[in-house]
Amino acid sequence: MLRKYSNHRTNSDNIKLGALTAFSAGMVNVISVCVFFAFTSNITGYYAVLPQEIAKGNWYQAAVVLLWILLFFSGSLLSNLLIIHGKSRMGQYVSHAIPVILELLCVLFVGLYLDFFYGDSLQETEFLVGALLFAMGLQNGLTASISNSVVKTTHLTGLTTDLAILVSMFTIQANRSNKALVDKFHLLLSILGAYFAGGLLSGICYVYYHNFTFYVACFVLLIIALYDFYKLARVKQLFAHRKRAFAS
Amino acid sequence: MLRISRDLLIKLTYLLVASLLFVSVGIIMYAENPERLIQGVWQEKEWHLEKDNAPHQNLTVAMLSKGLRDEILQELEEFHHGVWKFDGNRVIHPDGGVIRDEMEWYIKGRGHILELRRDGKPLESFQIQRIDENSMVLHLNLDLQVKGVIKIVLERIADREEYAKKV
Repeated sequence: MLRKYSNHRTNSDNIKLGALTAFSAGMVNVISVCVFFAFTSNITGYYAVLPQEIAKGNWYQAAVVLLWILLFFSGSLLSNLLIIHGKSRMGQYVSHAIPVILELLCVLFVGLYLDFFYGDSLQETEFLVGALLFAMGLQNGLTASISNSVVKTTHLTGLTTDLAILVSMFTIQANRSNKALVDKFHLLLSILGAYFAGGLLSGICYVYYHNFTFYVACFVLLIIALYDFYKLARVKQLFAHRKRAFAS
Repeated sequence: MLRISRDLLIKLTYLLVASLLFVSVGIIMYAENPERLIQGVWQEKEWHLEKDNAPHQNLTVAMLSKGLRDEILQELEEFHHGVWKFDGNRVIHPDGGVIRDEMEWYIKGRGHILELRRDGKPLESFQIQRIDENSMVLHLNLDLQVKGVIKIVLERIADREEYAKKV
């Protein structure tokens, strides 16, 4: 799911990556709306809010929105820097897993801060939302980069548009048996469903378990980071087993 | 024609991003923010009822049907006299100065949401449409007898320092 890059990825790899990351993005987005009244998985709206706040002369609010956009940008930037420069030093899997680990640490930090230090002040809110946007930037940068822009887990506007285009294309008989189009349809549908399911779970979790929801999101991210580690370990184990069998 | 090398351009991009980050953090740290601005005593001036399917109506506090107003502020008895007092400890004081059940206020989002809580439970949240030293405009989405947005205009009648001394 994480160790393969660009055109070497199968549709199954993309579906696993897309669904799991979209699930965590949906969770983070809904809980941040519940706790902070701010969206954190998408920044399209903030590009509309920024000029609006500047026009109104609300410099504080404009600075907050600008900071959030820049943090999302920084997250994506860092993620891609790790991927393109880390591959030769740390190997493909590790360089792809580090952004997920960093994202996990950001979400964990927000959860722990809310549990033990949060004083409900506006400045704390702004920086915690910033941390979540940075985390989402890391994730979006990673998924888009390693999948050659096929998987975008938080870009639901583009996804809905692509889905609508595919549905219209499927009105033609020949397209319905086109494997590439059908695979893409399955991928988009998985991302959409997972994002919605993550949001729903987060909303329900928040009602009963409040900030604990952040730790559930961390658990999902841990699965993403360690899934390939488990697979690699398993493959190594199998090779070692076969080697011993040949030797004997 | 002036030509800038791409090496220089990429450095300028990094510099621009870093500068914007520093400027925005600086403004957030030191500029007047809604959390500080809201502290003080505010008097309701007028309510605007904005419905999707009706012409825009301007209502003074006195004109607004008392029944509807009380229903909108059902959980917020403290505001029934039209005076909103926000103190620095995030507690809202009723007009008479006696606290029946302590109610707290919090500013959320990018400074555009005013949330009111009692015993830690959210009661109501307003959207702060505008706030400055003299006036504040709040929006409240409602779905009671009418579906629409209530716009509440408040005017500051005592500033933070005066109010802090009084408290």
